[in-house]
Amino acid sequence: MPDADRAPADLAALAARAHALRRHVVSLVGPLGQGYVQQGLGAADLFACLFFSELRYRANEPEWPERDRFLLSTAHNSALFHAALAESGQLAPELLPTYCVDGSTLEVNVSERLGPVVEATFGSLGQGLSVGLGMALAGRRHGAGYRVYVVLGDGEMQEGQLWEAAMAAGSFGVDNLCLIVDRNEMQVEGHTDRVLRMEPVASKWASFNWAVQEVDGHDLAATLAALARARATAGQPSVIVARTRVGKGVGFLEGQYGHNMKFSAEHAAAALAELDARGPAC
Amino acid sequence: MLSGAAADLRVGDFTSRAVVPKVYGEALLEIAREDPRIVCLGADLSPATETDLFRDALPDRFFNLGIAEANMMGVAGGMARCGDMPFAHTFGVFATRRPYDQVALQIAYPRANVKIVGFLPGLTTLLGVSHQAIDDLALMRALPNMTVLEPSGPAQVRAAVRAAARHDGPVYLRVRRAEGPLPADFEAEPLAIGRASVVRDGDDAVVFACGAMVEIALAAATTLAGAGHRVAVVNVATLKPLDAATVIQWARRTGVVVTAENHSIIGGLGSAVAETLLEANVAARFARIGVRDTFAEGGSTPYLFDKYGLTAGAIADAVVRLRSRAP
Repeated sequence: MPDADRAPADLAALAARAHALRRHVVSLVGPLGQGYVQQGLGAADLFACLFFSELRYRANEPEWPERDRFLLSTAHNSALFHAALAESGQLAPELLPTYCVDGSTLEVNVSERLGPVVEATFGSLGQGLSVGLGMALAGRRHGAGYRVYVVLGDGEMQEGQLWEAAMAAGSFGVDNLCLIVDRNEMQVEGHTDRVLRMEPVASKWASFNWAVQEVDGHDLAATLAALARARATAGQPSVIVARTRVGKGVGFLEGQYGHNMKFSAEHAAAALAELDARGPAC
Repeated sequence: MLSGAAADLRVGDFTSRAVVPKVYGEALLEIAREDPRIVCLGADLSPATETDLFRDALPDRFFNLGIAEANMMGVAGGMARCGDMPFAHTFGVFATRRPYDQVALQIAYPRANVKIVGFLPGLTTLLGVSHQAIDDLALMRALPNMTVLEPSGPAQVRAAVRAAARHDGPVYLRVRRAEGPLPADFEAEPLAIGRASVVRDGDDAVVFACGAMVEIALAAATTLAGAGHRVAVVNVATLKPLDAATVIQWARRTGVVVTAENHSIIGGLGSAVAETLLEANVAARFARIGVRDTFAEGGSTPYLFDKYGLTAGAIADAVVRLRSRAP
């Protein structure tokens, strides 16, 4: 893969980043007693790949015009997002304890009150891809070098607007657009199949003229390779359907379908102890 | 005057209207040639929104996003965040009621520099309840950061487009197409955001009107003059921010206030005027002319305006009734 503008991946370093992100997620949600801990643990490996290998940004220049655009359509996966910003030098770490505190800019649904590092505000599900498409079309028309990355929760595939955007992106053939579907199979009421049948997911995207890859979202090397292939794809938008497991990395949380889950300080302490005992998985 | 069923038939006919001047389409193209930030977004209604002119002249800045208005609003927000100035076009209902959440979160909340342009205002369409934007002004007024414009007619459209483009932030622009060739004495009129314009003087009553109702209010004032009522008419082309100073001044001067809008009486011009006057402690005799909290049906514009009371007669009756009432 043409990877000239990226250093060769150091998988051990990425695993350490993912581990640090998981520690943050647990630490941020624990004091609240409830929150989006499961999604954060589940997507930590994806975020490690994105923020510490794939995305191009300047931590001290959030409005750098050539930065890649990162859009978190699942804005409630905010513990993980704020953690990734702090770990990547884009957010002062001392702000993390203000997460979800009244008056804080670190909201439970990420908002642009935080600053320009938040490219757009979501929370109303299914909107991220449309905004990403607008940015991709603008970038293509302006000959800009940036790419647009949208992280989508799989439950968002139930929103009609998502398919409007999918059809338009496939039709316009914007190859500077990469969608990552966090296929954790969880939504508010539990397993996605308990709500609506989602499968087959990959062929849905293929039929909308997207370049589709399926990947184990906890396999760092495979995820990086998929992102690189997406970058090398011409004439089509790319989607990476990343299969992830909610609660990943903490035995008693893995596979527990809790959307906005009760999570006590005791749970947090036990989770941290287990994460520390396990260390980074690589 | 609104000219009848034949013109309306052409509104629903998505082919060319060769005899009808594309006042909006020409104004947009003109300013787009001056301002490279302007891009044109559409949802399969290029001829009906007169953006076929833009499509043919500046194809690399034209995006037909298909019959998918929610996505169009998100795309517009994304483009605006990358420095573009999208003008997003469809019918008023599909520009407001249908993608309201997307407009709120991706355009109004971030103050995105997007201009939402809604055609077929109010009851000016045969296409029936699905296509009649009777609550678009109310919906857009309710959004923080949104500027809401409705030019009185073709004469004010060019100025409205230019004012919207000059304004750095979201604008809802409600446009009614010309219904036939422009009159020989056609003269473009100005429009400044936040300024209402007094189009007829008078001390006995004031009619605050917007859009198609400005012309109808003027007709009512002429009729009323014959009966000895000197009625002022104010064209309120900016519904938000409302020109509170002018509204208060003319309400105080006349003490008799009628609002007239091609829209529901709830949430639009009548509501805006009432809110403003009450908060300013201005006591006035007051009536609203508009669609009276009901859905309508398909029909010619003259038929519908008559049936739903959007007429010079209804305005005149309201003025006379209010004037006969003790202050």
